[in-house]
Amino acid sequence: MIRFILADLRRFKGGALAVIVLIALSVALSVTVTLQERAVRLGSARAAEKFDLVIGAAGSETQLALSAVFLQPSPLPLMSGSVLAKLSEDSRVEFAAPVGFGDSADGHPVVGTTSKLVSALSPTLAEGAMFARLGEAVIGADVRKPVGADIKPMHGGADEGGHTHTELIYTVSGRMAPTGTAWDRAILVPIRAVWQLHGMEGEAAHDHDHAAGGLATVAAAEHEHTEEREHEAHIDPAAAIDEHFGAETPGLPAVLVKPKTVADAYRLRQEYRGETTLAVFPAEVLTRLYATLGDARSLLLAIAIGTQVIVIAAILLVTIMHIGTRQKQIGALRAFGAPARAVVAIVSGELFLLFLAGFGLGILLGYAAAHLISASLTATTAVRMPVEFAREDISLAVWFGILAVVISIIPALSALRLSPARALRA
Amino acid sequence: MLALAISGLTMRFPGLDTPVLSIDRLHLPAGGRLAITGASGSGKSTLINAMTGLDTVTSGSVCWGGTDIAALAAGKRDAFRAANIGLVMQDFHLFPGLSAFENVVLPVRLSRRLKPAECERALHLLETTGIARPDQAIETLSRGEMQRVAVARALLSKPGVIVADEPTASLDRRTGSEVAELIVRLARDEGTTLIVVTHDPALMERLDRRVGLDGGRIVEDSSEVLAA
Repeated sequence: MIRFILADLRRFKGGALAVIVLIALSVALSVTVTLQERAVRLGSARAAEKFDLVIGAAGSETQLALSAVFLQPSPLPLMSGSVLAKLSEDSRVEFAAPVGFGDSADGHPVVGTTSKLVSALSPTLAEGAMFARLGEAVIGADVRKPVGADIKPMHGGADEGGHTHTELIYTVSGRMAPTGTAWDRAILVPIRAVWQLHGMEGEAAHDHDHAAGGLATVAAAEHEHTEEREHEAHIDPAAAIDEHFGAETPGLPAVLVKPKTVADAYRLRQEYRGETTLAVFPAEVLTRLYATLGDARSLLLAIAIGTQVIVIAAILLVTIMHIGTRQKQIGALRAFGAPARAVVAIVSGELFLLFLAGFGLGILLGYAAAHLISASLTATTAVRMPVEFAREDISLAVWFGILAVVISIIPALSALRLSPARALRA
Repeated sequence: MLALAISGLTMRFPGLDTPVLSIDRLHLPAGGRLAITGASGSGKSTLINAMTGLDTVTSGSVCWGGTDIAALAAGKRDAFRAANIGLVMQDFHLFPGLSAFENVVLPVRLSRRLKPAECERALHLLETTGIARPDQAIETLSRGEMQRVAVARALLSKPGVIVADEPTASLDRRTGSEVAELIVRLARDEGTTLIVVTHDPALMERLDRRVGLDGGRIVEDSSEVLAA
């Protein structure tokens, strides 16, 4: 029987191939949409996992979350450094780490922070040691630099026309283990080095107003350029870092907070939601974004299923026409003694085989496409996007299987309606 | 070997007032060799379809050795035909993409497992019908060879009767007479009843009895002429 089916398919090679390709493409579309949406969702959820609570200056919640979790370069307003001082003292806080964005080196964001955050991201370093001096840096797993290499920080990004900070060259002291987050692409340096590079340290008391209102970007800092230059000479790369933040702490774009308990987290968020500060759970902000993403997925999936319906309709048409021309063959099979079940098995088996081949090919294509998209996303964001099948996909596959069986059996049954004599005359 | 007994057989097609076939009585003893003739449209093919169960009869009975196939459901008729009637048709109805051997055993293979004895018989029949290479692809055979393969296929299940519908009509004269000779010889050797629809005088000559049809009725029967 299989021999007969294959011989038959060989005769209609072109048509069979076209049907397989049609099914494969439409299945690939749904598979890609499903897998990619899941990859982005899981990947960013895992990336946000390490950041319980982010506090920044009043502004956009989404922007604050995206900047902290994905290190997206954007003009974040600065908030008063006293917030960090207060948080550091708070008994409900396990640790509060400042993050200072704005600089970059070789396309990697340079983030000023404290050793506590480095330890939180990577409890044990992959190699080297934690930064202990102003001129030292810990790099993310995806930064291609050896321990001991020099890093010349640049104000803003190279593509924004920023200038290089000549006053301080960092030395790589260690490398974090991979975290699967955007921070794998980051270069982490002591926050005080960033402050000093930008002339904010030490004069915070009288510089407060301008810091709080300023922006941690090129544009905002550009006009203070000459002013900054005056501070250049004061930076000593060998100076030990000080991670105690008092009231004179300069302004900063965000503080990552690790609350002691869930209740503390909610209380802190409540407290720091005010006129001058903003507190967000990145996971919550992302969930809101996923809802939008989910809507987009539903839409795409609906389109994908729509194309599948059209493809199946086209296939039905092809089969019905095909059956028309095959009446003679079916009549002959029956005339020479093939039982009805064999005829049904042959006709539906052929179709089912095409469905199966198209389905398998489609899954492979979709899986490959999702991998390609994820790889390109990971290359730009460093957020690991896991492309994986889940349990709920089984039900989708089962539905497809049932549909394929039903659709392949209909033409076979219709072929049996005619008597063999009439089929032979067709 | 099967005897045929047809009585009160009518076949009507929708939209036609007069029946296309109306045969009060036609008996053929087991082992008989019958030729059916008639102009086109005389009801020959309809009669063949009725007696082989390829079509549903309107009324009457078609008994093969005691089994009235007119009373059977379509599926049962198909099964009866598969087991008892060897069909040879004008257009061969062989299946491209398969070899000569595969074509011979296809009907059996589609209904059940091929027995080793059947496999041997298929090879033997192909040898008898003069097919030198059983594994040759069917579409590369000549028309005469194709009809020989079709004859081998008809005989595989040791049917009680061979029914051939214009088996030589699509062949040239020489090939046709070879095939005609083959069918008659094999029917005799295998001990089957033989019914052939044909215009071919050479083939008619080899058969014992001739029935002529016109307008769906028997207008001539050589056995009755002899009896009279």
